[in-house]
Amino acid sequence: MSTVTTYRPAALAELRDALVDSARAGERLAIAGGGSAAAWGGAPRYDAVLDTTAMSGLIAYNPTDMTVAVQAGMPFAALQETLAGNGQWVALDPARAGTVGGLVATADAGPVRHAFGTSRDCVIGVTVVLADGTVARSGGHVIKNVAGYDLAKVFHGSLGTLGVLAEVVLRLHPRPAATATLAVPCDAAAAFDLGGRLVHGSLEPVAVEWCDGTLLARFDGTAGGVEDRGRRAMALAGAGAEWLPGDDHRAGARWSAVADLVRGADGDTVVRLGAAPDRAPSLAALVDREARAHAVDAALTSSPFAGAHTVRLRGATAAAHAAVVIALRTEFPATTVCRWADGLHDELPAWGEPPPAVAVLRAVKRAFDPDDRLGSGRFAPWF
Amino acid sequence: MSWSAELAEALGRENVITDPARLRTYECDGLTGYRVQPAMVVLPRSAEQVAAAVRVCAGHGVPFVARGAGTGLSGGALPVADGIVISLQRLRRVVEVDPVNLRAVVEPGVTNLDISKAAAPYGLYYAPDPSSQQVCTIGGNVAENSGGAHCLKYGFTVNHVLAAEVVLADGTVTTLGGDSAQVPGYDLLGAFIGSEGTLGIVTKVTVRLLAKPAAVRTMVADFATVAGAGDAVTGIIAAGIVPAAVEMLDNLAIQAVAASTESVYTPDTVAALVVELDGPPDDVAEQFDEVQEICRQHGSTKIMLARDADHRALIWKGRKAAFAAVGRISPNYFVQDGVVPRGRLAEVLGRIAAMADDAGVRVANVFHAGDGNLHPLVLYSEAEGQHDRAERLSTQIAELCVELGGSLSGEHGIGADKACSMPRMFGEDDLATMLRLRTAFDPDGLCNPGKVFPTPRLCGERPGPYRPHPLEEAGVIERL
Ligand SMILES: Cc1cc2nc3c(=O)[nH]c(=O)nc-3n(C[C@H](O)[C@H](O)[C@H](O)COP(=O)(O)OP(=O)(O)OC[C@H]3O[C@@H](n4cnc5c(N)ncnc54)[C@H](O)[C@@H]3O)c2cc1C
Repeated sequence: MSTVTTYRPAALAELRDALVDSARAGERLAIAGGGSAAAWGGAPRYDAVLDTTAMSGLIAYNPTDMTVAVQAGMPFAALQETLAGNGQWVALDPARAGTVGGLVATADAGPVRHAFGTSRDCVIGVTVVLADGTVARSGGHVIKNVAGYDLAKVFHGSLGTLGVLAEVVLRLHPRPAATATLAVPCDAAAAFDLGGRLVHGSLEPVAVEWCDGTLLARFDGTAGGVEDRGRRAMALAGAGAEWLPGDDHRAGARWSAVADLVRGADGDTVVRLGAAPDRAPSLAALVDREARAHAVDAALTSSPFAGAHTVRLRGATAAAHAAVVIALRTEFPATTVCRWADGLHDELPAWGEPPPAVAVLRAVKRAFDPDDRLGSGRFAPWF
Repeated sequence: MSWSAELAEALGRENVITDPARLRTYECDGLTGYRVQPAMVVLPRSAEQVAAAVRVCAGHGVPFVARGAGTGLSGGALPVADGIVISLQRLRRVVEVDPVNLRAVVEPGVTNLDISKAAAPYGLYYAPDPSSQQVCTIGGNVAENSGGAHCLKYGFTVNHVLAAEVVLADGTVTTLGGDSAQVPGYDLLGAFIGSEGTLGIVTKVTVRLLAKPAAVRTMVADFATVAGAGDAVTGIIAAGIVPAAVEMLDNLAIQAVAASTESVYTPDTVAALVVELDGPPDDVAEQFDEVQEICRQHGSTKIMLARDADHRALIWKGRKAAFAAVGRISPNYFVQDGVVPRGRLAEVLGRIAAMADDAGVRVANVFHAGDGNLHPLVLYSEAEGQHDRAERLSTQIAELCVELGGSLSGEHGIGADKACSMPRMFGEDDLATMLRLRTAFDPDGLCNPGKVFPTPRLCGERPGPYRPHPLEEAGVIERL
């Protein structure tokens, strides 16, 4: 391969100049953050790379307002570390160690999506740079704001195809005084049932996750409150349940297992999909059945009440992985391939059945990037 | 065939209004100073009829404006003179309540409160609670991304909607969002919510339902200064407590409440905070004590705890009646909806007071202090010729919020009302980029034109004064 130009701007003005220059050169750009989600969806065609990782500064942090503004290339983990010093956090726990901008562009999230949603629910302002160098801002620095359209939403899940996120403003949450994890070995159907009782029983878990044979529920609050809810949750869960107070290695290891599964390893295929809560048990059954039929080692982790699921496929051939993914897509069209086993691209189109609003997706892409210069082919065959 | 004849044929003569006397009902929303009579109003009975009406409009280039209950406070549902109004009032079926999946599917004309009523038998409710919730529709809530007193903890409409069936400007029907929040591609649903009726018409909404909290505790804390109350709010937030609601009333608002209803507020206090915590009982009890301590540290002169559910209801009744009540101590008033960063509450309230003194008019404050969303009420007398002064002050307050790092609007929307102030908050390229989104949804600009974005025509005109919404005067709904 010939050498590829890399733009690595460190400031907004440099980023704008990079886009103007590349527009003049007629280049197609791949926008790269930390690279942890570079493989999501289709493989973009590009002549140059726009690397955002030099734009990693803290722009404004006002702990009293509980908001923070950062350059989009800031590593998300570094941001959380800064905030922890003030007992605050962005209420997101994604498995991948990416940039803040990447988190928005992938719409990624972790188990606390159960209570806090995804980045769409905590981004309150963005500055973006479009393919032609236009710099645009929407939202602001306050948590409540309905002035103008919310461009952050349009960029949520955009996978580098609409423009470059330059700056992101986030709302913060207080870190809880106490936290604890309930762990219950059970199958997916029992997990859905117990999870439902925790939710309906006003125990207010911040995460309910069923990971490969264990239900995990996390409770945040005051020391006394968490202890009380622990008693009630244990009573609901019955024999075999464990109560793991704190964030120490025992609880930490359980949640790390979720993140490991979601990240996958070289040679794995990882697929994220969405489904209504009550379909979680049938999804688990489908994964089992298809994995057996194609002799693939499959593992599933689910946030059933947020309707978010991740399937990891390991071993066997790319063709076997493709067969499993196709079976999943047939039942659950809202599926994104996040990691591709070697050779899988040859066996499987990047996306399955398009969502009903695909015509609007196309129109939005045309309006923001008429020459299809950014992340070209990422959403192929949809557009 | 003319477009009006086509509409009558497509929807049935009984579902269209052209009689000028009946059209007048639709000439304004809650921002009653702006009035325009539409050429026609249509009242479709199904989503198919909505789509049919929009197709006729698209075919003839006729602008159309969706309308729910007409309680909007920014002129969002203000008609266009040569266009039609599409009322969603007849689409008011609760299609399904699904307690297992914690969601409900409703038509757009269903009122906000009716969703919670339908969910109540399952111990569930719909969280966003605008004070107009008895009458405002979920379609209007989606269009405005409406909030309410309890949005501090629970978030706004956008955080509680999973999917929307939408009629696009060309009359095609599509679904934004899906079964879960995991829909690949751009978050079109999120962008649509809060777009003030300019990107299409919602014909069905899937909302999330929440389990009712196990415990609720409410208090009223009095303060000798407005700054003290503002600092207490900042203190509560900084302590890492997320109350369900933190509302503030100043003395003028409290006087108004006392003049009109059985008031539980201290008549001569300078300011009062209503703080409500909800959630698991032990957590609530612990933090409730902490909040009282923080209020005392910031100079609270008296703290009243709600004894029981009835007492709590009285506290909220007074709080929610405040707006209607202000109408009794002043013949006219403007309401603003600006937002400031929460650390600057005391500062902005001080500056508003000084500006009011300079302008020689009174300003009452009753608002969502917890998320920095002000609702200053600029009181004036039309008869005494104070209109222009009051209007100028009102606009200055909104723009002051922007200057302090906040926003022109927290929940009422820009609409026709604040479109001309948008350049204070956004640059030309910001607005042009937002217009790209609009063009993607509605290339011909037929869907609720003249809202949100400043236009020379709009910004050259002078609107009339604010008058209370008829429902507000009747005490059915209150403004927060
Ligand atoms: C006394 C009072 C108190 C209030 N309190 C609050 C409050 O606490 N919090 C708050 O956020 N707001 C509040 N509001 C404002 C108002 O009630 C909300 O904006 C509400 O969401 C409007 O709903 P509606 O059905 O009346 O919509 P309308 O006023 O009829 O319309 C509002 C906008 O929505 C569009 N629209 C309506 N239906 C649809 C649809 N189906 N599809 C697409 N677009 C549509 C219209 O075109 C218009 O732009 C209050 C208003 C009053 C009068």
